[in-house]
Amino acid sequence: MPPTEPVVITADAVTRFAQALGLDDDGTVPPTFLISLTLPAAERLIDDPDFGLDWSRVLHREQRFAYHRELRAGEAVTCASTIESIKSVAGNDLLALRTDVAVVEDGTVGDGPAAEVWTTLFVAGDTA
Amino acid sequence: MSLTGLEAGQTVFTSAFAVTRADLVAYADASGDQNPIHQDEAAAKAAGLPDVIAHGMYTMGLVSRAVLEWSRSAEIDATLTDFSARFAKPVVVPADGGAEVVVEGKIRKLDATSVELAMTVTSGGEKVLAPARATLVAK
Repeated sequence: MPPTEPVVITADAVTRFAQALGLDDDGTVPPTFLISLTLPAAERLIDDPDFGLDWSRVLHREQRFAYHRELRAGEAVTCASTIESIKSVAGNDLLALRTDVAVVEDGTVGDGPAAEVWTTLFVAGDTA
Repeated sequence: MSLTGLEAGQTVFTSAFAVTRADLVAYADASGDQNPIHQDEAAAKAAGLPDVIAHGMYTMGLVSRAVLEWSRSAEIDATLTDFSARFAKPVVVPADGGAEVVVEGKIRKLDATSVELAMTVTSGGEKVLAPARATLVAK
């Protein structure tokens, strides 16, 4: 799936996210903030009708962030999502997603991701 | 304080956070995750849960807060480079009284320039994240 259009990490969004977690609002992007960009980006992948995922059966199983450089409010980023694996375990599925978050400066996407975000979702199978 | 004052195996912080339904609504608005199981008792029960549960990412956010508050209070000038969690059990948040999340941070690995923390995260006596880890690299 191609990367999303650039999305600006607004100071307002950072402030609201920091306040919701009781973090100091010092202009740095909270460690888990990127989930608010990467999950919607990955949803484009998952909402594909050919793939067909029922969100009412989905639980968040694992989450990991690797940060390669500090992000600041005001920066624009793109998100590129891929499905790393789908494993079936006892009729349920484990769906592993990775989203590369890259900074866009003057319309140019930076070399390499500023952050990599992995999300594993547990999708309950049909209970016969 | 620098990383050299730390020892592997050492418990470096224990932080407790009260969680209310209002906190979950605020987090839903801030994060965009409006799944009703985090706000509405009927929706949670329809999904087979005992009551409203916190967003896993809300709990992980509280863990990040505990880590950042510790590094600041210990005057460690470091950058978070890796942060992970496995969501083992939901944090159940009743309308009356809410819940408490307790985060205990231990030093798992240490070298001259980085420290890896392992967090034990419990609510109502149950481990809710297993494990949660954070790596800080000295600036």
